[in-house]
Amino acid sequence: MTAPVVEARGVSRVFPMQAGAVTALADVSLRVSAGEYLSIVGPSGCGKSTLLHVLGCVDVPTAGALRFQDRDVATLPDAERSRLRLREIGFVFQRFFLLPMLTAWENVELPQAEAGIARAERRARTAELLDYVGLAARAGHRPSELSGGEMQRVAIARALANRPRLLLADEPTGELDQTTGGQVADLLDRLHGDGTAVVVVTHDAVMAERAPRLVHMRDGRIVEDSTR
Amino acid sequence: MFAASRPRAATWGLIAALLVSVPLVAAPAEAPGILISRQLAEARHLAVGDEVRLAAEPSGTASRQFRVVGIYEPTPDPLRFAQPPLDVRLHLPDLLALTGDPADAASQDAVTAINVALADPADADAFARDVAGRLPGVTARATSSPDARTNTFVVIERFHTAIAFVTVLGSAVFLLALMVMLVDERRSTVAILRLMGFTRRRILLQVCAEGALIALVGAAGGVLFAIAVQGLFNRFFQWRYDTALVFLRVTPAVVWRSLVIAVPLGIGASLAASWSLLRRTGAGLHR
Repeated sequence: MTAPVVEARGVSRVFPMQAGAVTALADVSLRVSAGEYLSIVGPSGCGKSTLLHVLGCVDVPTAGALRFQDRDVATLPDAERSRLRLREIGFVFQRFFLLPMLTAWENVELPQAEAGIARAERRARTAELLDYVGLAARAGHRPSELSGGEMQRVAIARALANRPRLLLADEPTGELDQTTGGQVADLLDRLHGDGTAVVVVTHDAVMAERAPRLVHMRDGRIVEDSTR
Repeated sequence: MFAASRPRAATWGLIAALLVSVPLVAAPAEAPGILISRQLAEARHLAVGDEVRLAAEPSGTASRQFRVVGIYEPTPDPLRFAQPPLDVRLHLPDLLALTGDPADAASQDAVTAINVALADPADADAFARDVAGRLPGVTARATSSPDARTNTFVVIERFHTAIAFVTVLGSAVFLLALMVMLVDERRSTVAILRLMGFTRRRILLQVCAEGALIALVGAAGGVLFAIAVQGLFNRFFQWRYDTALVFLRVTPAVVWRSLVIAVPLGIGASLAASWSLLRRTGAGLHR
């Protein structure tokens, strides 16, 4: 079996609210291996995004264990979890979350600069990534000057900037039309083909079917985990 | 040399009034010289070389002839800035001769106060003690020492300090509110940076640098504004009261104090405003 990039064992996440605690995840166990491609599906509010945040070390579980590349995430200080996110994990969100004041090029270059990559290497990598997502010609454009599909492709290029081992995508085609969504899905397929582990949370059945492994969630639990 | 004599304000006023009321007459060849203030010269259209008669009594009795040998700009007196300094400076013997009663030899000494310039100001206290010992009933004090005149300004300064404190406090609250709004507007940017892997410390440093820069620019702007206003303010009131008194002065100490207060306040306000966002998780921020 391939070594896991991230592994959740009996993970729970409870949010304390004024009206009472809300259990978003309950005893979830999931292992994502290097280079694997899986989709997580389920009804709204079933805990898909929370699981994605936990797998991406954005959020910490209230119970259970989470190991990222064999490191216990719960014991890592916030700065160390930030470093993990910066170097090992890429995020793609439904609403792109590009920095509006930066150009496509600068958005892609920013995480590399934060990771301390040398300028010449950053420039080469940024050019390579924008070319990879087919936006070399739009490098100097700001997000407001790009279409939804283009913004999502810039977001993917940014997520790949520091060569992450794991790409987490939360409804990456949620704001795109079918054709543009298909292009973004093709890009994720290609990424997987290039060896990056990809986890996609989606409501889109067609998008979900692209992944060889399908995880169904309901009420904060994994109810089905199948591989084709 | 002119004696540095300084009779009471009332005496000066009286002399000035007499100067106005006494008509000019042909002067003897040896008329003693006097200095008159610029304001008096302007008010009575006098020039150097003019002859005037001065008397100590409003009736003009026992007036004496003098010649204007110079016009001077009086040292501004903050306690009298609303009154035009219509002043005359006489040689001490001339003053005594003018104000004294010829029938009373002792009246020749009737000077209420004189200023004495010491070669070394540090000797002031010793000199005052010496005068007190030699001339009982005469009070001598150093002009730099706090006295009843400067006490007024001590109170005014305290009042200004209190106003400044309230102003700074109000500005700090305003700055904090501004920074909270500014930071909250950038909530999504902070969320993106956190998700991307920027540490809280890194973002706080960035926010601090921005806060310091904003405060520094604000303080510099405030100082430049104060310097610009200072000129207008002084010119207006100097014109209004016809005085060389400086009403407002932005000193290096004031500039330094502004920066020392403003920059830490800016950083503090930025930190306080940012902390509420940064203590939340990236997931919590982007929801």
